Amino acid sequence: MLPRVSDDEEPSPAMSQAAELQHPASGAEEFDFGAKVSSSGKLGMWIFLLTDAMSFGGLLLGYAILRSGSHDWPDPSQRLGIPFTAGMTFILICSSVTMVMALAAAQEKNKKGLLLWLGLTILGGVMFLCGQAKEYTSLISEGAGITVDNMWATFFIPTGFHGLHVFTGVTYLSVIWVQSARGKYTDGPNASANNIEIAGLFWHFVDLVWILVFTFIYLI
Amino acid sequence: MAGGHSKKEYIVVFFVLTVLTAIEVGIKYMHLGRGMMVAGLIALALAKAVTVAMFYMHLKSETRSLKLIIGLPMLFPALYAVVLIVESIARSAFTWKQMVG
Repeated sequence: MLPRVSDDEEPSPAMSQAAELQHPASGAEEFDFGAKVSSSGKLGMWIFLLTDAMSFGGLLLGYAILRSGSHDWPDPSQRLGIPFTAGMTFILICSSVTMVMALAAAQEKNKKGLLLWLGLTILGGVMFLCGQAKEYTSLISEGAGITVDNMWATFFIPTGFHGLHVFTGVTYLSVIWVQSARGKYTDGPNASANNIEIAGLFWHFVDLVWILVFTFIYLI
Repeated sequence: MAGGHSKKEYIVVFFVLTVLTAIEVGIKYMHLGRGMMVAGLIALALAKAVTVAMFYMHLKSETRSLKLIIGLPMLFPALYAVVLIVESIARSAFTWKQMVG
């Protein structure tokens, strides 16, 4: 389906041949307008994120419709700790910048830098999860719960699913970290940072969703 | 990778995201009118989301085919969301008016 696949790790001989044969006149390449190339792995992650965005969109839209139809919706700042959550938001932003620094290190074949920045990214994710666990336990001990009212339902469901995405990302990046420690993305002529970039796409998307959740559920 | 990203750009984007977040929290406590506050917060959130997608997810330097595959299918869910929210707000304002008289 994709016109060209070039920067997957360990390209097969057939694929590198195909990459050598590329020229603009070839019919199969017409859809790729520029000279740049996307990997099939990257396209796969983007398509997944696109559909995942629709899932989160569904949760947020359900919230928006319940809230706009209600005349006694409480101000979220009366129930939620805004400064604490702003701190959690900042941690996620930090973990996004460490993720792109990890990618830059991998592209420079700098294994130490890759392990450091990736490790800090994972740490940020773990800190976010700890913050959310603390937030949830204190809210629940004060009587909050999914079935208490619509406000709490539309608070716990999207933030809970987001937290599970962070956990997914932490698991994913931890596996990538172990592979990086073995030199998979930096050592040898065939090493490619492509899988680091794909993992980064997932991680930044989780940050992007939090930006929207923080604004719509905590601030507005 | 699509090329053209620099570490300096990554750091600049980090500061932009941090400052926009601080402004958001500031707007929350500035006691603006509700409409102003909501409009400002949504604009800032969308600006931050687009910044992350463009610079950290490198969408700005992707191939045109990838941009098309992502951009066009996102347009309709966005439109869908806007229409449903506007309808919901309009309906609730209408029923509220009837109830209050």
